[in-house]
Amino acid sequence: MTTISAAVTLHGVSRVFGRGPAAVRAVDDVTLEFPRGGWTAVMGPSGSGKSTLLHCAAGLERVDTGRVLLGDTDLTAAGDAQLTTLRRTRIGFVFQSFNLIGALNAEQNVALPLRLAGRRPSRSEVRATLDAVGLADRARHKPRELSGGQQQRVAIARAMVTRPEVLFADEPTGALDSTAARTVLDLMRSMADAGQSIVMVTHDPGAAARADAVVFLRDGRVVDRLAGADARGVADRLAAWER
Amino acid sequence: MLGMSRAGLAERWTLFVGALLSVALGVALVQSSLLLLISAATLDSSASQNGDAAVAMLGVVLGGAVFLAAFVISSTFAFTVDQRRRDLALLRLVGGSRRQVRRLLLGEAVLLGLAGAALGVPAGLPVMAVQAWLMRRFDFVPAGFAGEWRMWILGVSLGGGVLLAVAGVLVAARRAARVRPLDALRESGAAARVMTAGRWIAGLFFLAGALALIIVAPHGGPGGGQAMAMNVAMPAAVAIVAFAPLLVPAIARLMPFGGGVLGSLARANVRDARRRSASVAAPLIVLIALVVGNTGAGASFTAGGIDETARSTHADFVVEGAVPAAAVPGVAVVSTEISVPAEVTVGSGEDQETEAVTALVIDPRAYAAVHGTPVELSGRAVVRGPGGDVPSQGSVHLRLPGADLGELPVVAAVPETMSGGAGLLLPPGLVLEPQVAAAPVRSFVALAPGADPSAVRAGLARFGEVATVGDWLRADAELRNSTNDRVMLIVLGLGGLYALIGVVNSIVIGAATRRREFAEARVTGLTRGQVVRVALLEAYAVTGAALLLGVVAAAAALLAALTTTAAVTGVATLDLPWPLFGAVAALTLTVTGATSLITSWSATRPPPVTLLAAHE
Ligand SMILES: Nc1ncnc2c1ncn2[C@@H]1O[C@H](COP(=O)(O)OP(=O)(O)OP(=O)(O)O)[C@@H](O)[C@H]1O
Ligand SMILES: [Mg+2]
Repeated sequence: MTTISAAVTLHGVSRVFGRGPAAVRAVDDVTLEFPRGGWTAVMGPSGSGKSTLLHCAAGLERVDTGRVLLGDTDLTAAGDAQLTTLRRTRIGFVFQSFNLIGALNAEQNVALPLRLAGRRPSRSEVRATLDAVGLADRARHKPRELSGGQQQRVAIARAMVTRPEVLFADEPTGALDSTAARTVLDLMRSMADAGQSIVMVTHDPGAAARADAVVFLRDGRVVDRLAGADARGVADRLAAWER
Repeated sequence: MLGMSRAGLAERWTLFVGALLSVALGVALVQSSLLLLISAATLDSSASQNGDAAVAMLGVVLGGAVFLAAFVISSTFAFTVDQRRRDLALLRLVGGSRRQVRRLLLGEAVLLGLAGAALGVPAGLPVMAVQAWLMRRFDFVPAGFAGEWRMWILGVSLGGGVLLAVAGVLVAARRAARVRPLDALRESGAAARVMTAGRWIAGLFFLAGALALIIVAPHGGPGGGQAMAMNVAMPAAVAIVAFAPLLVPAIARLMPFGGGVLGSLARANVRDARRRSASVAAPLIVLIALVVGNTGAGASFTAGGIDETARSTHADFVVEGAVPAAAVPGVAVVSTEISVPAEVTVGSGEDQETEAVTALVIDPRAYAAVHGTPVELSGRAVVRGPGGDVPSQGSVHLRLPGADLGELPVVAAVPETMSGGAGLLLPPGLVLEPQVAAAPVRSFVALAPGADPSAVRAGLARFGEVATVGDWLRADAELRNSTNDRVMLIVLGLGGLYALIGVVNSIVIGAATRRREFAEARVTGLTRGQVVRVALLEAYAVTGAALLLGVVAAAAALLAALTTTAAVTGVATLDLPWPLFGAVAALTLTVTGATSLITSWSATRPPPVTLLAAHE
């Protein structure tokens, strides 16, 4: 069922941590497509394997069985050098803890992926990306001088500066208050509307409702899928699966 | 990438100050030892009797300095790289390649090496002044001796600093480049594998080296055996340091932490932070191994030599002067021995070698009676003395001050002894009176059966200072031990200080990266005082484990001393300077305790929220 229209395809993917009786099947035989140009939210109880699934989909975690395709590139067969190149060009990450480099200011953090790729980004290019997340006036600030919401927007700008095919986000609003969270979600919505593929893990039904579709995970398996629901509908479904 | 380096340098300054300090002091120590060695080697040899001894000693000092510098610098650099795992993983997460991580770290190492060496060159001057002062103070060099500056040392120091820094970071950089990008997402970094293949290989290699020395030392004769035994502590310590990430946490856990929540928290921390525990312990292990192992082995050899002399000397009094035979009633045997400085030349042409030895003019029969070893001497024949250094057969060319005695046949050898002595024994007829007129003379006097010792002693007094053999041996032991102590002070003093600074360095670096952990502990309900107490408990546990492991490494050297003294003198001898050991243990415990107190106190100064709020 692999089609070229999928941004990311998982095919029979499993990931087991530990061995013997203590083994945890964090991801258990998952087959799933994340559509191109769409925003998919992944929900489920704590420990259900959401983060592990995201890491496998992004080529950060090795899989024990199955295949992961980014477009038509097989991530499971890629070596470290190829994965590095992919991270520079086709994949962007945003995480709950913003993971900015404290020594660098906002502008430098955003420019970092381009510089690692061997490019000398122009100031205007970097400024434009910061402007898109509404932080043009904070370019010279270090992470510790920014609020949580601002740091997360810098992290998004850093992920977007390479114009990746897919943006992976693990609870991007998890550490933010509701106002800051809304700003970040608005930003992601407008990116998705402009054709950006996004895969986002979240606990928050309100956040998931902003996505185009929601995938529910339990004990490492995909148990349900929901499209076009509002926050209320997502919350009800989640509650049903957490019961 | 260089921009990153610079930004990185500015941010994690405690890490880099630590690394910089290790390079600067290492370069200073090596530079000073090298300059002094060159100065001593080019010293006019006629100006100093023991010029060769000074050069040999400075060679050991230089070797020790290079070893310690390489050791402290590489372990400090590896530790700083380890402390930045998360930063480096983050770099990988946003698209940094392994090569870029390596280049970043190597770039930093070059910068730090250059900067450290630039500080080390001027710092080397006062170090050299101290070392030269010690050498003069203990009469290893003439009073006017001073280290001379050479312009080329600039190149050596700068190049050496960069080389040591880069070599130190090379392994760590390879390791760090393999960090998984995902590790950036874990708060404390995944529990990295601590025992790498490299550590196993290095550990086993040096262990084998130490074992080989222990096994061979008893067969090396008095000179070779002592030299080998004195070199056991270093490889033994390096082997233990290689296994430190396994050994230190395991032993530290067994230390008495005291009960309660603080004790169990400290124990958990020691176990969890294996690399940090091992990094703090590493320079301590080396310090303890070298000090305890080498002073202990040195003292044991002295004691073994003195015991051996006591057993083989069949005399009652030692007189510092010539005692004519039959001059005093009640004397059975007098062996009068004249020490003459001599130059012995062996071989000819290309292979010709000249050595300065002491020649002893003796009466063969009396010598044999007093020292319990038969000596056959007649005509122009000579015998190799207990000090060795001369072939036991063939012929040697002998020169005394003011007389060339020509080629002499070496017809026999008395057994070599632990405490050494004259290189050659000469018959009385060979040397003319004027040649030995000013030479020191010593007489060993054995009493006739039934003679009154005090009467004989009174009778001997007019020929020179009289001592019983027991007193004479005790004075000799004291003299040798104090010489040992001085040599150790010169060889290990500044190096030990450097190793101790390496320990302080590791504690400071470790505490600087723990601010967040401390803050978390405080919001969990620990008071600032309790956090500091936990850190102090950890420091004591790690220091205790390091002391224990250092003693284990030292025990290897002591074992070699035991077997060597047994092989050479027939009696296994161990003599340990306990007061010194106690002082070293107290000093290290004080230094690590104080450093831990100060660093954890200052790391907990900011209110915890300010640290936890900043997500970076
Ligand atoms: N590195 C690891 N080693 C061992 N087990 C792991 C590891 N990572 C995840 N797990 C286990 O895999 C399971 C899934 O973890 P995962 O982090 O994917 O859950 P999650 O759905 O993201 O949970 P949360 O909502 O709490 O973030 C858990 O039981 C976890 O304990
Ligand atoms: Mg998660």
